[in-house]
Amino acid sequence: MGGPSKFKIKLPSFKPELAESIEVKESNKPAQEKPAKRVRKRKAPSPDEYIPVGAEIEGIGADDIEELSENEDEYYKLGAEDDEFKDYAALKLKPDHANRPLWVCPDGRIFLETFSPVYRQAYDFLIAIAEPVCRPECVHEYVLTPHSLYAAVSIGLNTQTIITVLNRLSKVQLPPEINAFIQESTGNYGKVKLVLHRNKFWVESPYPDILRALLKDEVIKKAHVAAPEGKSGFTVMAGLTEQAALDLTKEVEMAEVEEIADGSNPEPDAAAVDLGVAAAEALARAETTQRELHSFEIEPSQVEHVKARCLPGGLNYPMLEEYDFRNDTVNPDLNIELKPHVQHRPYQEKSMAKMFGNGRARSGIIVLPCGAGKSLVGITAAARIKKSVLCLVTNSVSVDQWKHQFKLWTNLQDHQISRFTSDQKESFAGVSGVTITTYTMVSYSGRRSEESARVMDEIASREWGLLLLDEVHVVPAQMFRKVIGIVKAHCKLGLTATLVREDERISDLNFLIGPKLYEANWLDLTRAGHIANVQCAEVWCPMTKEFYREYLKKDNAARRQLLYVMNPNKFQACQFLIQYHEQVRGDKIIVFSDNIFALREYAQRLRKPFIYGGTSHQERTRVLAAFKRSAEVSTVFLSKVGDNSIDIPEANVLIQISSHAGSRRQEAQRLGRILRAKKGKPGSQAADEFNAFFYTLVSKDTQEMYYSTKRQQFLIDQGYSFKVITNLLDAAGGANLQLSTRDEQLDVLAKVLAAGEEEAGVEVADVTDDVIRTKRALAQRTTGNLAKLSGADGLTYMEYDTGKAQKPRLTTKSGKMRHIMFRKHAQGKL
Amino acid sequence: MRGVLLQCDVPAKEFILSLNDSKPTNERFVILDLDDTHLFVQPTVVEWLEKRLKEFNEENTYQPPRREDVR
Repeated sequence: MGGPSKFKIKLPSFKPELAESIEVKESNKPAQEKPAKRVRKRKAPSPDEYIPVGAEIEGIGADDIEELSENEDEYYKLGAEDDEFKDYAALKLKPDHANRPLWVCPDGRIFLETFSPVYRQAYDFLIAIAEPVCRPECVHEYVLTPHSLYAAVSIGLNTQTIITVLNRLSKVQLPPEINAFIQESTGNYGKVKLVLHRNKFWVESPYPDILRALLKDEVIKKAHVAAPEGKSGFTVMAGLTEQAALDLTKEVEMAEVEEIADGSNPEPDAAAVDLGVAAAEALARAETTQRELHSFEIEPSQVEHVKARCLPGGLNYPMLEEYDFRNDTVNPDLNIELKPHVQHRPYQEKSMAKMFGNGRARSGIIVLPCGAGKSLVGITAAARIKKSVLCLVTNSVSVDQWKHQFKLWTNLQDHQISRFTSDQKESFAGVSGVTITTYTMVSYSGRRSEESARVMDEIASREWGLLLLDEVHVVPAQMFRKVIGIVKAHCKLGLTATLVREDERISDLNFLIGPKLYEANWLDLTRAGHIANVQCAEVWCPMTKEFYREYLKKDNAARRQLLYVMNPNKFQACQFLIQYHEQVRGDKIIVFSDNIFALREYAQRLRKPFIYGGTSHQERTRVLAAFKRSAEVSTVFLSKVGDNSIDIPEANVLIQISSHAGSRRQEAQRLGRILRAKKGKPGSQAADEFNAFFYTLVSKDTQEMYYSTKRQQFLIDQGYSFKVITNLLDAAGGANLQLSTRDEQLDVLAKVLAAGEEEAGVEVADVTDDVIRTKRALAQRTTGNLAKLSGADGLTYMEYDTGKAQKPRLTTKSGKMRHIMFRKHAQGKL
Repeated sequence: MRGVLLQCDVPAKEFILSLNDSKPTNERFVILDLDDTHLFVQPTVVEWLEKRLKEFNEENTYQPPRREDVR
């Protein structure tokens, strides 16, 4: 039984867009007759015919072409047997298509050639209008969706610009379907805005007709707060300042001049594209700034429903949330400046530009890989808005880390930053400041201590300029709703690295926070040296005979995971890798295990420190500090508490011995732990050199193989490739490894079989993959709590009823007034 | 006695043995357990075994789902 056949590296496989380059003829001979050749060139391209740009990449040499021209009947439609095959041969190529980077297909997919000279501009444009699907090295796949177009409009692009620029970049004439789709999806966008004004929510639009139409809807009618004294109409406010519009007309004119110049030159000019975008943005703004704005008020509690109702699925008037922070005189300014030494990387600049495109702050999500400086983006946004900031993070450790970041990058002092956790309940001095807290603290619905209730009141009563949401993907929608219901913020900025979830609840974020403003390309950042260049490897460890026998037994179903995690060959592989990286390369290593039994067992056998949900905050801090500073501690074992936001920039090797089933997000988050750019070792300046290593140890012939491949999908879509190592231990040779005798292995096996079911499972099911299970929990064995997820286990906010505060009981059990003596006694007067 | 000599790797052998053990005594097909990689079995089951092995292998292999049509 060999290893299952796997495709580890996702080649830029055949995509429909290449169909144009295939000579389309009905072939009578079955394709199998020429199985080894992937031929898709016609015999003799005449000058005006297309020569596929990617020919070399697909590995077609001149020989293939020659061969084909000899027997011309044998045309082979590449991939025609594939179910996904689509024939776009009918699309007309433009004469100068070779200079244009995009293939736009009628089904909404767009393919981008990364080797095009205008790749960078095309990428910036595409990421604004389309959703990335898969981004390997040479050809990227994107798709146009209503949500992605909504995002495009919200950053100021209008329908016409989207179509024009897309057409300019496309190799083929824009298919009419696409044209219609963009028109239809964007026609209603950007007409309605949601504004938080003087602590009340308003729906605002320059078109009173649209507002009237909206009010006819049941949901919105319910949410509408009627004007007090029978005034039927809408509140009318003056349009925004004209200054912006004036500046913009200038920009438009300039862009137009450029446009004419561009007309004479058919090549897509990068500058022209940029300007086109700017022009469109300018137009869009000019339009909205000159009109009267009509608005009506809605109930704060109904905001989310109203927003959801207005999305494309419902009324199709998606609302934009904008905050005109410069003209906000009600909320006190926060004196926050970035320190002069702060330098932004290009992608950080870009994401900021998207957020503040028109001088107002937009709500939305910025997606950057872990370790690429997400916090700096958030802090820069805060410094731009200069109002009070509420920063929500996942656990108390990151609360401290964010505070540190704020002090590192800005001029804020200790007294202006307050933390609100179970340990620290601070409030900032002065009228404005920064508060950092966790999602759990804010959404906690039980009784609070007096002190924490006071801080919560402060949070709820304030109008926040910016609500920063760290790691937005981890928080279940319900909790978000609650938080957003409690906190009144003008602008919400979500930060995340991995916008995937196994339960597909991501789309909720679209209306809970806002559209995705920017998403960086991992491989580009790697190439630019902003994040570490990671070698990903999957190490296949054969199961030993005894372990496999137990694995197959039906009554061991609950222990299966433990059996493949504790596989002695895997243990040896782990030990070998640790020894190699510690001793030969002097690396810092993190080992991840979701399984607590295995975590403890491995760590104790190898004499390394380990951290899991039950580890106290103090010990955790101590271990991490030792790991950072001491040369003695080069390896640390972490359970899934380490998945998110434990910041260990030193680590550059990651070994994964067990994981949560097929969670793509966990895989990406874990990779993120070692992604922070590493300083090259002196002497080794080669750009291609890997400076970080990500190993997944997998027991062969078990379920783990399945999960492991599934988990890698997200990273593969980001362009990573996984190397499979099948014979690690052969190479290890006689290294001094534990568990090499059969007796030792059998001891471990006995221990595994003796382990209780509780122990054998994953770190008990209070935290599932992405969701903190609320209802319908499938396998919840203990009363779960969020604290474990957030790493604050044992430090949770608790309140005990001492009984002292009990209301004096003045009546008897049957409800009659008690005797005066008892009453007095109960009131403490006796 | 007629039979077929099977040569397989360690996990496959364990898998076949577990199939054998899951059957009632009179239906068991393994005649002799020779060593770590060899089994002597009834000739009738070979095809069935191959099928089961293939299924088992597939269970442990992930196929990314096809992306359904975008719109």
